[in-house]
Amino acid sequence: MTDRRGRQAFACQLAELLLVQLANWRWGWRSMVVLGMAAPLLSITMLGILIRDSGVVALEYVLVGNVVLALMFENQNKVSSNFAYMRAKGTLRFVATLPVYKSALIVATVVAFLLLALPAVVVTIAAGSRILGVALAPSPWVLLVVPLCAIPLASIGALVGSMARTPEEAGSVSLLLTLLLLSLGPVLVPPELLPEALNLAGYASPATYAASALRQVLLGPVSGRLALDLGVLAGLSVAVLWFVERRLRWRVG
Amino acid sequence: MTGQDLSREQDIVYELRDVVMIYSGQQERANDGISLDVRRGEIFGILGDNGAGKTTLVRQMVNLLQPTSGSIRLFGRPVADDPFAATTRVGFMPQDGAVLDSLTVGELLFVTARLRGESRSAARSERDRLIDLWRLTAVRRRPCRHLSGGQLRLVQLALATATTPPVVILDEPTANLDPQRRQLVWKNLRQLNREQGTTVIFITHDAVEAEKIIERVAILRAGRVVAIGEPASLKRRVDRQVRLELEAGSEDPPALGAGLRFRRLPSGRWLALVPKDQLSEVLQRLDLERYEDFRIYSCTLEDLYLHYAERAGD
Repeated sequence: MTDRRGRQAFACQLAELLLVQLANWRWGWRSMVVLGMAAPLLSITMLGILIRDSGVVALEYVLVGNVVLALMFENQNKVSSNFAYMRAKGTLRFVATLPVYKSALIVATVVAFLLLALPAVVVTIAAGSRILGVALAPSPWVLLVVPLCAIPLASIGALVGSMARTPEEAGSVSLLLTLLLLSLGPVLVPPELLPEALNLAGYASPATYAASALRQVLLGPVSGRLALDLGVLAGLSVAVLWFVERRLRWRVG
Repeated sequence: MTGQDLSREQDIVYELRDVVMIYSGQQERANDGISLDVRRGEIFGILGDNGAGKTTLVRQMVNLLQPTSGSIRLFGRPVADDPFAATTRVGFMPQDGAVLDSLTVGELLFVTARLRGESRSAARSERDRLIDLWRLTAVRRRPCRHLSGGQLRLVQLALATATTPPVVILDEPTANLDPQRRQLVWKNLRQLNREQGTTVIFITHDAVEAEKIIERVAILRAGRVVAIGEPASLKRRVDRQVRLELEAGSEDPPALGAGLRFRRLPSGRWLALVPKDQLSEVLQRLDLERYEDFRIYSCTLEDLYLHYAERAGD
């Protein structure tokens, strides 16, 4: 008998695994509505009321900060929970018995949750701008910026999910990180209103660069700072994905 | 490499030598110097009680665990040298029921065939063949997370045998299955072996039924192989014994004397392996009228397991 079993090329594996991970929409749409859409919109409404007299810049920070929040809920937390669940349930072991690259699974998961996050991001931007009365001036760069903001956050989620001992631990750590990253640096609040220490700490937070890039491409104007933001986000994505690939328990060899 | 070596290599699917496995943070050996060969095209059973190291052993064979020491070769090459060596040649069914449970049964079978190298049209045909073979039509569109334990087990078997790999390794293939489905499993595995030449390796506690298809068996106890060979050959070594089973209800089993003792079976019945030359004496001592049911028959694979496991434990 000939051994006719082979394996697919990386791109084909990626496509199949992407479809597998997109199927999570069947079970995840309720939490997408609640966490990915309702939480940012509620936050926008409440913060909008509180700071309505603080000027348009503060309102812009609230809008963009909540887009980052939607990305965190829909990417970082979901990817974290997906990896933790796959590890705890043994699904990861099942996938490891198939002829697939570990990196294909990781990239497919990150990209799938990016695509699944898009409705929440679009709704947050559209509804949030109306609630706050902030005028949008979207740039074509938005098509590059949104994925580059989502991927490092999702990669952090993959790291948390691959290292946590249980799904519960992954959920707690990821939520804590979400709150921490939103608090560090000018994400939801303009830098003028933040203590200097938080502004300095913000340089170490991917959420700061994501918020800066999103503000430029959603509200304008796009400046040279965008290159720095995108460079940091892209570098962080590669670094974290590489580390996850090394860290994720998989088959031997 | 000589012609003899080549011929042997082609004949041997798995070659395990002195495999030792000690889990991190533990001192006890889960596998303790296991050496065995699995030949091409045979049906090889692995028997052993809980904690004997069976699951640890097969996980190393499919490269999910690395032995602490020793070597595992698949088709002549160290299995850990190439991460795709096992995944492209071995269909593995783990003991737990983990699959990609966001998918329906049909989707999962299709994706598995695709990832194992099939074109889209071939993967569709393979999915339909497996659904028919493993009688999954009724659950074809059901999400895997909504399957019963028995249905999931059949799906796992379909996944392990998808695209007809040269080797399948199954960790308790009939666990959670009713008698009808167990028959289906043994029938399909026998058919796969006969028609495709697939080497079938499986762990089971269901020794009585597995006996119908097992060609060679390894019996494990406390991480060691205590017996290996063809069931008939192993039986010859213990066929001086007969199996005495009786239903004693809530009563304690009777004393048998001469170092013989009853053990309780999972069914609640009592079993003793009695040397043939002592059978009449034992029967005279037992007042068989007191018992609702009793049976005497020759040695089974389960008795072999009990014999070797007990002897190794003495």
